[in-house]
Amino acid sequence: MSPVPAAALLAALAAVALITDRGWVVAAIAIGLLLLCLRAPRGRRRMYLVGTLGSALSVFLLSPLVSQVGTHVIWDGPKIPVVGYLDVTSEEIAAAGIQALRLAAVGLAFAAYALLLDLDRLLQAAGFARRSVLAAGLATRLVPTLERDAAGFTEALRGRGLEVDGLRGRARLLSPLVAGSLERALNLAEAMEARGFGRVGRTRAPSAPWTRLDRLALVAAVLLVLGAIWL
Amino acid sequence: MALAEVEHLTFAYPEAEQPALSDVSLSLEPGEIVAMLGPSGSGKSTFLRALAGLVPHFHGGRFEGRVVVAGMDTRRFRPADLAGAVAMLFQDPENQVVFGRVANEVAFGLENVGTPPDQIWPRAHAALADVGAARLAERRTETLSAGELQRICLAAVLALEPKLLVLDEPTSQLDPEGAAEILDVACELGAAVLVSEQRPALPLERCSRVLFVDEGRITVDATREDALTRLADEYLPREPKSLGDVPGLGEIVCRVEDVTFAYDSRPVLESRSLTLRRGEIVALTGPNGVGKTTLAKVAAGLLEPQSGRAEREGRCCYLSQDPGRYLIKERVEDEAALAVGGDVRRARRALAEVGLTGFEHRHPRDLSSGERERLALASVLVADPDVLILDEPTRGVDPPRKAELAAQLRRDAGRRATLVVTHDLVFAGDVADRVVPLTAKEHIHA
Repeated sequence: MSPVPAAALLAALAAVALITDRGWVVAAIAIGLLLLCLRAPRGRRRMYLVGTLGSALSVFLLSPLVSQVGTHVIWDGPKIPVVGYLDVTSEEIAAAGIQALRLAAVGLAFAAYALLLDLDRLLQAAGFARRSVLAAGLATRLVPTLERDAAGFTEALRGRGLEVDGLRGRARLLSPLVAGSLERALNLAEAMEARGFGRVGRTRAPSAPWTRLDRLALVAAVLLVLGAIWL
Repeated sequence: MALAEVEHLTFAYPEAEQPALSDVSLSLEPGEIVAMLGPSGSGKSTFLRALAGLVPHFHGGRFEGRVVVAGMDTRRFRPADLAGAVAMLFQDPENQVVFGRVANEVAFGLENVGTPPDQIWPRAHAALADVGAARLAERRTETLSAGELQRICLAAVLALEPKLLVLDEPTSQLDPEGAAEILDVACELGAAVLVSEQRPALPLERCSRVLFVDEGRITVDATREDALTRLADEYLPREPKSLGDVPGLGEIVCRVEDVTFAYDSRPVLESRSLTLRRGEIVALTGPNGVGKTTLAKVAAGLLEPQSGRAEREGRCCYLSQDPGRYLIKERVEDEAALAVGGDVRRARRALAEVGLTGFEHRHPRDLSSGERERLALASVLVADPDVLILDEPTRGVDPPRKAELAAQLRRDAGRRATLVVTHDLVFAGDVADRVVPLTAKEHIHA
C-alpha cells in the first residue's frame, strides 16, 4: 500500500479511538494495531511498544487513584494531602480502562507509522511544505538514532569496565546524547546543503501511481472518521 | 581553462586564533586526479569545504582571497548553487544520510539540482550499480554496515555527475579491496577528483598530482613522481610487513572458543576461536562484514556468545571504532579519568602519553577528530588493562600519528595482551606480532 493512504488509515484509526465511546471498538483498534506493529523487526519495535504499552498501563493504574468519579467503591484508601481520598470505584476503573486503551491505540498508530511506513515515499508525496515534512521525517528517525547512540555510549562505558545501571546511570547519558544529536544535526545540515538542498528549481522523482487498494484505503479512512462522529 | 581557481585563500573559523588556511593558491584542471595528504588538523578538510562553498557560507569565519569553481565565485554562490558542479563526500557516512531508503538517498541530490524527473531513477540506479550497490537499492539505510553506507554516499555524489568530485577520507571505513574499488569508480568518472586520505598508498597509486598540506599551507604541489621524492617516509606507499601466526609464549589472558553469534537471525560468527597471550599484539584483519568487530566484542565480554565460551583474566578494555562515544564528561581529564574512578593524576598521565597535555580542561566536544581519537585511546589506556582490544584505532589517523601509536603499543606490549582490529595492513604489519585473518565462513583457530 502507498504510504499516503496508509498514513491516512492510521490517522483515522487513531481519530476513531479518540472519538468513540464504545470500549470494544477502542480495544479492537488497539489490538489490531498491536498485531500490525508486531510485523516490524523485533529490535526496532521494542522501544515503541514498551513506551506505548507502559504509558497506557500507567494511566490504567494511576488514574483511578486520582479521579473522584462514581459511587460503587471497590477500595477505600487513606486521605492524602492535596490529592484527597485514595478510593477506587468501578466507574473509575472502567474510565481508566478506556483512557488507557485510547492512549495505547494512538501510540500504536504512531508506532505503526514510524515502524512500517516508508517515510521517504510519504515525503515524496508531499507536494507542499516539503521542508516541514522533511523535518518531521528526520524527527521520526531521531528515535532509533538516539537509541543507537545510547547503546554506543553504554558499550563504550562497558568497554572501560563501567556498567550503566539504573535510572541515575542512564540519566548521565542524557547530556551527551543531546549534544551528540545537535552535532549530528549540524553535520547533516552541512551535507544536505552540499547536495543542493534549498536550491531553487528542484524537481521530484516520479512516484508509483496509486493502486485500487490505495484508493479503497483512503475512502475507508474517511468513512471510519465519519462513522465515528455519526454514531 | 582551469576548473577551479583558488587565489590567496586565507580562512579562520569563528573565534579561532589561528587561520585554518593561510594564503593558499592553486588551480585544478578538468579531469585531474589529485591526492591531498597531510597531518590531521592541517587544514585539508577546510580546503575541501572551501571548494564546495561550505567555507565560509556554512561555517562562517574570516575569509580572504577568492575561490572560483566552474566559473562560480564561492563568495557569491551558495553551496546549494555549486552542488552539481562540485560534489563532496564527507568522512562519516552516518552524518550525511537523509533518507531511510537507499534509492531515495541517491535521488535526493538529483531532485535538489533540478534533474528532469524521468532521468532521476535511471541515474540513481546507475550510480548504485557503479559502486557495486545495485542490490541495496530498496534496503533501509539504518540496516547497512558502515562500509555499505559509504558506498551509498559515494553513489549519491556520483549520480550528480559533477565536474569536480571532492572526497574527504572516503574510504576510512572500508577494507583495502573495497577502498580501492571506491577510488577506482571515482577516478573513472571523468571529473576532476581531489581526494584527501590518511592511507596514502591508495590515492598515490591513482593520482597524477599530489598536494601536501601542513599548518594551513600547501607545502608540496607536485606531480606524483616528483612528490614521491619529496614526501616524508611515513606518507610513501609501502608493502605491509608479512606476519606469521605463531602464538606468543606468555600466559593466556583471553580465550574465545567455538563461539557463534547472530544479530537477530543473521549469523555473523560461526564456530570462531581466538586466543590472546600476555606480551603479544595480535592483528585481526579481514574484509568488511566478516565479523571482526563482533568477535572483538565477544572477546571483550561486551557481547555474550550464543554458543561457545569467552573467558578473560584480569581487566579487559575495549576501544570502540567511534571516538564520538568518549564524549560523556564536560572536561577532557574527567573523561579520561572515568575508567579509574576519577583519578585525575592517572588520567593526566594517560593524556600525556597520547600527546594531549594542555588539553585537560577543554571540553571533549571542542577537540578535532584526531584529538578525539587520542582522547578515546587515553580513556581505555588509563586503566592499564590486562587485555586491550582496539577496534580500528587508525581510522582517520594520519601516518605520523599511526607510527606513534604503533610505537606506544609496542612499548607497553609486555604488560598485556593486545588485539588490534584493523583494515590497515601496513599498520598491522608495523604493530603486531601475528595476524589472524578472518575470512567468511571459515573456522579460524588462532
